[in-house]
Amino acid sequence: MGFFSPWFLGGLIAVGLPIYLHLLKRHKTDPQPFPSLMFFEHREQSSVQHRRLDYILLFILRTLMLVLLALLFANPFIRRNTPKGNGQKIVVVAVDRSFSMRTKEGATSRLDLAKEEAQKVLSGLPPTQKAQVVALADTLQAMTQQTTDPGELRGAVSAIKESDARASFGELSRYLRTLSESTKTPLEVHLISDLQKSGMPPGFTDLRLDEDTTLNFHTVGKVQPNWAVETVLAPQHVYDPKRARISATVAGFSAPAATRTITLLMNGKTIQSKSVNVPENGRGTAEFTGLDQASYGFNKCEIRIDSADGLPADDRYAFSVERTDAKKVAFVDDGRRAQALEFFRAALNATEDPAFQLEPLRPEVAATANLTNYAVVVLNNLGQLPQGLEQSLERYVTAGGSIFESIGPGSVALPRAPVLGEAIEGTKYASREGERFFTVSDVDAGHDVMKSVERFDGVRIYLAVSVGTTKSRVLARLNNGTPLVLERKVGEGKVLAFTSTFDADNNDMPKHGAWVPFVQKSVAYLGGGGSTEQPSNLSVGEYVELRTGNEKGAQAEVQDPDGQRVLSLEESAQARNFQLTREGFYEVRTAGGKRSQVAAHANRMESDLAVIPQDTLDLWKGTGSSASSAGAGQGTGGEANTTPWSLSPIILLLLLGVALAESVIADRYLRPPTQSQETKAA
Amino acid sequence: MLQRFLDPAVLAGISGLDLVAKTVVDGFISGLHRSPDFGFSQEFAEYRSYSPGDDLRHVDWNVFARSEKMFLKRYRGETNCQVSVLLDASRSMKYGSRGLEKMEYARFLAASVCYLAHLQRDAAGLVVFDSEVRHFVQPSTRQGQIMRLLHGIDKAETGAQTVLEKPFAHLVDYLRRRGLVVAISDFWEEPESVIRTVSPLRSRGNELILFHVLDPQEIQPKLKGSMLMEDLESGVKMEVSPDYATHEYKNKMSAHLEELKSRAAGADIDYFLVDTSRPLDEALRQYLAIRAGRL
Repeated sequence: MGFFSPWFLGGLIAVGLPIYLHLLKRHKTDPQPFPSLMFFEHREQSSVQHRRLDYILLFILRTLMLVLLALLFANPFIRRNTPKGNGQKIVVVAVDRSFSMRTKEGATSRLDLAKEEAQKVLSGLPPTQKAQVVALADTLQAMTQQTTDPGELRGAVSAIKESDARASFGELSRYLRTLSESTKTPLEVHLISDLQKSGMPPGFTDLRLDEDTTLNFHTVGKVQPNWAVETVLAPQHVYDPKRARISATVAGFSAPAATRTITLLMNGKTIQSKSVNVPENGRGTAEFTGLDQASYGFNKCEIRIDSADGLPADDRYAFSVERTDAKKVAFVDDGRRAQALEFFRAALNATEDPAFQLEPLRPEVAATANLTNYAVVVLNNLGQLPQGLEQSLERYVTAGGSIFESIGPGSVALPRAPVLGEAIEGTKYASREGERFFTVSDVDAGHDVMKSVERFDGVRIYLAVSVGTTKSRVLARLNNGTPLVLERKVGEGKVLAFTSTFDADNNDMPKHGAWVPFVQKSVAYLGGGGSTEQPSNLSVGEYVELRTGNEKGAQAEVQDPDGQRVLSLEESAQARNFQLTREGFYEVRTAGGKRSQVAAHANRMESDLAVIPQDTLDLWKGTGSSASSAGAGQGTGGEANTTPWSLSPIILLLLLGVALAESVIADRYLRPPTQSQETKAA
Repeated sequence: MLQRFLDPAVLAGISGLDLVAKTVVDGFISGLHRSPDFGFSQEFAEYRSYSPGDDLRHVDWNVFARSEKMFLKRYRGETNCQVSVLLDASRSMKYGSRGLEKMEYARFLAASVCYLAHLQRDAAGLVVFDSEVRHFVQPSTRQGQIMRLLHGIDKAETGAQTVLEKPFAHLVDYLRRRGLVVAISDFWEEPESVIRTVSPLRSRGNELILFHVLDPQEIQPKLKGSMLMEDLESGVKMEVSPDYATHEYKNKMSAHLEELKSRAAGADIDYFLVDTSRPLDEALRQYLAIRAGRL
């Protein structure tokens, strides 16, 4: 028992009032004179006894009335067992339709077997039994409402179609908990599935069921060997087809050692085939080099192995490759520091198939060049700019271009950093007598560029140029507070500034491990592509970003593998992302106008057909109380849960009754004798 | 007009007892003039033929002048009556619930009776008693008798408790001449004891009138709640509930009064219950009725 408003119990102090009136102020001590008491008797009169009874009763009633009043305001409650369902129950038939249910068991798929089992379960239900059919994959799809119509239930089972998504038993348990809570009715659940181990959630608590939920397992299929193309590592963009390299891994699950033939297909044509030895329950990898037949634009590629198991759907792996030319990066340098160009070029070409091609430019040339041909313009420690260059750069950036500039000692003479617009305040030297070098102490790790540089660990900065930060965002700062990396958005474009040099004179960064990722990520961030793009190869169930939030009202578009538009008008104008629901190639155009081809493949966790151990299944069943009570919970619906139940209505009724009784008793006790009584007595 | 002065509450505001008695009796008499039923002394009673030896002062000479026969006029008041007023001054007489004590009412009543007797030329006397005879005025018609009576009444103060036997035993010795005895008391004793005590006076040829003076609260107590009551005479205290007072006490009181009345009637004693809330003339009317009938 508890109180919703316990502070009102302070009103019990008022009980002192009747105690004072009835017990302390009860007798008058002054005797009243009377001529003779010869007609009065010492014996206790029955009427007096009656009156005293009334008196005590009155006192009790008044005290009780005040106590009840205080209790009424305090609003007490008790935890009451609330019976659920009034003896009713709901039967939930959950049919697994995940990717693994495509597995053939003889001539029939597991899904078909599951449907047959579901029909058997439904046929065993009483005519008035309320039931519901749900289909289980990565999400739960309610095929019917809770209904007693057997035709509707059977039709719903027949309508269940196979899915490319993985199974999630955690999602099933979550749905069952919600259903039990909302309906307050015991559930009898029949899970018809291949009970794949990979469908288990990471934490067992996600499988928890309510106490009144009975879980029954109907296993379909048996464990059988399965080989699958587990992963394919392929570049998203191919700039030089001859240098493109593709790696495919074939995994055997519960499978003996075997040799599998792996085939690379591109746009429906076989490019290469290789044999790979897959050890027992192990993995084999094959590499394909060169995509000479890749045409410009998006290419639909596929890795396929020869089918030799019950689940041929995972014997192929789709991926998308876009062939394009490397983007040009202008490196504007006055030629006095050739080392910087080499360091920068080396970092940019550190990958097998570099996405960017560096092109050195003299400032005078850059001033007249068409900068829109370049994805990124790099300004290397420039002093006084040639006439027109800064204006040209500003126009370029405003229109959407990107600049990566180094502000070193050569730029100190300038009042402001070019395009960045921040005031150059001076040079910060690390003195030989003092700290000798600066380190990077503060990094904005959430920024795309800074994610991979690991806080510039071990990088020594000997000289840095101090610039203002009034318009810019500081991405990295030295230990003396000097900004090292700054970013500013100008118009549609971006400017990234490094307040030291790209050579090894003023810092040791080019000789450090952080240099390559810093340059590559910076250029990729500014020039587009690379890791800043969303991946084009995703698993079914993952999401494709359609807009970043800045493109309000702009239309996005998605075409499914059949070439059908899958977004409604409202979704295309407002949806932020789109979930891939089946395998194949999706054509995506984001709200920003960027087109891409996304290859979706089934989650390879579904390829492992290992079954959940019986112990785990028993534990899962054990989370519902009915399981522990064996068959006793079948249809009883007698389980209960405790809910706070307010006693206020009862107290209010009691208070009214007590008030009424008090009025009657008080009237009897205090009322002077009536005329008729006096006459009768006379 | 004077009738309103007979209200005991009004009389209590009058300071002098003589004035009270005069007010009561004069007002009462003026009221009687309108009533044919009552008369009193000095009134013409009858004519009688003259017999030798009769006092010639009572011969009606007007009748003799007209008829040359001598008749004597007879008056009722000519009877020489001795009126003795016995006034109870016990402590219980001090009680009064309406601002007027029973003792005060009894004083007014006694004074009025004495004054009436004085007007009728009766020899009036006074005995004030409680457990003893506290004051005694010998009945007489002498000059200044009325003032002595009123003075005695005025000085009567409540004292001890009522014990009728002892003073009445003495009264038998005091009242040797037959006459009218008016006893004014609350008679807080058993009716049998009261009648047994006062009946010897009656046996001596006295006419006995008992004025039973009671406060309305004594007859029918009205209590607002349970209260502690103290006996004025004995000092005994007792808690009394209003319910008991309403029912059982009232029954007992009624039985007490009824028994007293019936026993008094059985002993040929006139009994009159005087409620202190009622005007004095009722008691006087009773007194005169009895006196007219008996004398």
